[in-house]
Amino acid sequence: METFEPVIVAFCCHYCAYTAADMAGTMRLDYPANVKIVRVPCSGKVDPIHMMKALELGADGVLVAGCLEGDCHFKTGNVKAARRVTYVQTQLEEIGVEPQRLAMVTMSAGMGTRFAAIANEFTEQIRKLGPNPVAAARKAQAAPAPVAQVN
Amino acid sequence: MTDHTNDAQTTVLVIGGGVGGIKAAMDLSEAQKDVLLVDKAAAIGGLMTQLDRTFPTNNCDLCTISPHLSAGARQQHIDLMPLTQVTAVTGEAGDFTVTLTSTPRYIDLEKCTACGECHKKYPECVRFYPGLDHRAPTCMRYPQATPQAFSIDMAACKDVNGLVNVCPANAIVVDDQEKVATRRVSSIILAVGADLFDPDKLDHFGHGRYPNVVTGLEYERIMSASGPTLGELVRPSDGVPPKRVAWIQCAGSRGINREDVSYCSSVCCMYALKEAIVTKERFQDDIETTIFYMDMRTFGKDYEGYYQRAKDQYGVRMVRCRPHSIVPDSTGQQLHIAYATDENSGMTTELFDMVVLSTGFRPSSHTTRLAEILGVELNAHQFVRGGNFEPVVTSRPGIYVCGVIEGPKDIPETMVQASAAACMAARHTGHAGSAAEVESEYPPERDVIGETPRIGVFVCDCGQNIGGAMDVDAVVQEAAKYPHVVHVEMAGHGCGQEALDRMRQMIQEKNLNRVVVGACSPRTHEGLFQENLRKAGLNKYLLDIANIRDQNAWVHGGARELATAKAKKLIRMAVGGVAQAGPLREHRLPINKDVLVIGGGVSGMSSALALGDQGYKVVLAERTGRLGGLAAIIRRNLEGDDVRAYVAQLVEKVQAHDQIEVITNAIVVDHSGMPGKFQTGFQIGPRMYYRQIEHGATVMATGALAHRPDQYLLGRHKAVMTQLDLDDLLETQPEQVSNWECMVMVQCVGSRTADNPNCSRICCQSAIKNALRLTDLNPDMRVFILYRDMRTYGFSEDAYIEARRRGVIFVRYQADIPPRVTADGDRVTVHFHDPILGRDMEVTADCLGLSTGLLADDETTEDLAAIFHLNRTEDGHFLEDHVKLKPLDMSVPGFFVAGTAHSPRTIRESIAQAQGVAGRIQGLLAQDVINLGAVVARVDRDKCATCLVCVRACPYHVPFINEDRYSEIDPAKCHGCGICAAECPAKAIQLSCFEDAPIMAKLEGLLERIA
Repeated sequence: METFEPVIVAFCCHYCAYTAADMAGTMRLDYPANVKIVRVPCSGKVDPIHMMKALELGADGVLVAGCLEGDCHFKTGNVKAARRVTYVQTQLEEIGVEPQRLAMVTMSAGMGTRFAAIANEFTEQIRKLGPNPVAAARKAQAAPAPVAQVN
Repeated sequence: MTDHTNDAQTTVLVIGGGVGGIKAAMDLSEAQKDVLLVDKAAAIGGLMTQLDRTFPTNNCDLCTISPHLSAGARQQHIDLMPLTQVTAVTGEAGDFTVTLTSTPRYIDLEKCTACGECHKKYPECVRFYPGLDHRAPTCMRYPQATPQAFSIDMAACKDVNGLVNVCPANAIVVDDQEKVATRRVSSIILAVGADLFDPDKLDHFGHGRYPNVVTGLEYERIMSASGPTLGELVRPSDGVPPKRVAWIQCAGSRGINREDVSYCSSVCCMYALKEAIVTKERFQDDIETTIFYMDMRTFGKDYEGYYQRAKDQYGVRMVRCRPHSIVPDSTGQQLHIAYATDENSGMTTELFDMVVLSTGFRPSSHTTRLAEILGVELNAHQFVRGGNFEPVVTSRPGIYVCGVIEGPKDIPETMVQASAAACMAARHTGHAGSAAEVESEYPPERDVIGETPRIGVFVCDCGQNIGGAMDVDAVVQEAAKYPHVVHVEMAGHGCGQEALDRMRQMIQEKNLNRVVVGACSPRTHEGLFQENLRKAGLNKYLLDIANIRDQNAWVHGGARELATAKAKKLIRMAVGGVAQAGPLREHRLPINKDVLVIGGGVSGMSSALALGDQGYKVVLAERTGRLGGLAAIIRRNLEGDDVRAYVAQLVEKVQAHDQIEVITNAIVVDHSGMPGKFQTGFQIGPRMYYRQIEHGATVMATGALAHRPDQYLLGRHKAVMTQLDLDDLLETQPEQVSNWECMVMVQCVGSRTADNPNCSRICCQSAIKNALRLTDLNPDMRVFILYRDMRTYGFSEDAYIEARRRGVIFVRYQADIPPRVTADGDRVTVHFHDPILGRDMEVTADCLGLSTGLLADDETTEDLAAIFHLNRTEDGHFLEDHVKLKPLDMSVPGFFVAGTAHSPRTIRESIAQAQGVAGRIQGLLAQDVINLGAVVARVDRDKCATCLVCVRACPYHVPFINEDRYSEIDPAKCHGCGICAAECPAKAIQLSCFEDAPIMAKLEGLLERIA
């Protein structure tokens, strides 16, 4: 069996994490291509629906990445995001999805190395967890029919 | 470079591209003034960009300054000339002619993409800069350098042809020449900063000989993510993480030995604390940090708390002494520090892994030459002399100064002076074109609402940057299959002029109504591509950028297939997102250009005058019946100027000014509106009638209170007085004072205590000022100053030295064993412990002077904060928007703060803030309309359940429930974070630009194959 390549969505705040990801590129740090970034103005903008939808659509892991505590560009967005992530994790647990598939991380814009390290660690963690059970179930369901049209 | 001798004289020359120069240039450009920014280095940014983090927030610096820098590069009013020096100046204020000499860069700035190929193959040819040693991963000073381009040292290059061929952008210019240009400018701002002291000259500390002895800046570089060790803290000698790190303060400063300077560099205490705290934060119990210091000078706003946290929370060990020497151990890896303290007799020796020397500022030799060229006076320490009451004015009219070259200071103080210099320099310029005129050159926007998306995808190869890491052809072919995509092409260097022209042509030809660019980061290039769409007649929000360079090609350089696949996905996501995007209107308002200044002290009056002189109408509202504030009762400053006379002429000027209306006995009672359109209501005495004032910007200059705590018999014994009382007595009754035999002063009375934790900043200077005047009157008088730390920062250290020279006795006391005072007839007896003699002392004095400092006017600021929705610090001072970068702006747009309402400070420092505020306001009010951007939250009234979640969630208290009983968000006040949108349970709130639909579409785009 070939190695499982998870799909990971990273919601990154424009002011810190997204900049840190750019910085990782500038520093030519290698991290897994599994991580795909969605830019948001603040980690506090990331709605539970976005996290759940990503998992529902088949993402194997979701990262919410904001500024360091106390450094949020919008004062408290990262704190609110962290609280929401914790909440969604309990919901995931209830419906039988591993809560570890969702994580909140923080970094400053200068922490390119930290971004790359987190991307590596999280990808490994998700790889160990295996494919998202929701996606597997959907795949099984959808198997007879042609691929669902999304647009 | 072309010769611009025909320029109209509307340009301000800014010399030096550090934070101060950049801030001055940005402020001027915001005020629609043209700026010529020259720097002798290859990239702007100065010292700050080399720091790892800045106090007191411990933020990473790059995150805070890089938006300023790239914005600086984008500003249409700023002409940036790196590698350039001023070599001659003629003319006078309003019409200077300057000669500028530029060193060859050997790189065409227009072509260089900063791909780094030259540095990879020929590192020896690429120039290096101070503070970044040879192990650094990049030789741009930091990854976001502006201009984003390399610089070649042709002399060091052996294989010139090889170098030329390795550059994929053909940017190497082998025969580049030194260029000389002359320009006419109306005024000049000098912002060249200073060097850091080179401690190699101090043989007892062994810097330069012992690898584990580093300077503060070198330590920052080691800790920095963009530094030589990528942020790993390791001992330079052997790469082993250190267990014990020591800082030695005042290395080269506050000294009398060879190579020392006498003044205090003002910033080293804070940076040493910061470095120690950051070290502790990263390694906790695994590392010991010790700071050897003489006086801990944490005199800035809330800095005292930072110092206390360093000690109590982080366990940074503080040892008060000046170490004698550093000697390596036999292995050469560790270092012995020998020192003696007050408490223990004899020498103590301790072993450390690394020693950081806290070196301070030195004016560079280059500055002395520049001062000669400009004809501006220097002070005894070779810094540029500013006026005592005009801090940014030099000896030559039309030339202004800001930042460290005016005297040692930290970043916020530099920013304040930069804004002040921008305000003063702008007086000499004529009116430049306004932003509105540029806007009208664009064609009208095409209405795309209701059209099916027709998306054009342009994929950059960015030379080899993207093209080298992936198969761009395959990406282009794949993109053609995505829904709604009607045109795809390779764009080469998409940001180049040619490619931008081509993109506009394609938008027209193919009737595109949405655009995706596969390019570098939207952080740097979104503005450019948005403007291009706008030029092509499309709304600028119909764009999405897929970051396939910084977040893809540069990351997966070695894995072509992975990078290609990921680029396809990133573009697929952007296509999905942009299909859902709609045109957005930026919110604009006409601006009311009047200014309301609250507080009629020196700060308020200085702001009003600076603004009135620029032609703005100012209403100056004072709560009491008279102008002048606290300064009106001060007699002398440390420099010996007559403060009362200065305040009197300030009052006279304000009252005579055509543009300034003064209202006294005025109490603020209500307030509404938005920047550019405020209404503030006053009750005006004595009859307390109501008046509403309309204004575009507001200055908070409400001052502070002179503290009079009930301590040390103050108010109960006539021999006990405050420094302010003494200041007055020295002028009114010098005969009486000269008969005194003995004077005792106690510092930090009512400051740095549990009730008022901050340092009042001014008291050490006041005490020294009065001690010098006392000894002037009676050289035989015995003067004792009982202190905790003498905080005579900057050049006021000279006065401290003079006081000691005259025999003033300084005795340190500890906060937990304060001096005691008892009445003794007309005199008082002061009891204290002398730590050097190790015994209790008693002194009977004719007068006890208490340094009581300043106290925030808590009641006033509380009321005003409630009316204006402003933020305050814990001790009741007004809080600025950003401690470092926006020290004058408040978090509510359109509000600015100056003077002691911000924090305790001297008159001179207050004036700098007041003029700085005028500089900031001149930028705000230069626009005829205010652009509030398009990223704002909007409420769908039909979905709103009036649940108040948004009202509670908003960090800025913007949403409110309106009369129609649904939540309303004022676009003028919305900061665009989207927190309310995420919290809203009914999904009634959407954040423009980041609505749920495009985010979902991106997710669907990414995950479509899986579902």
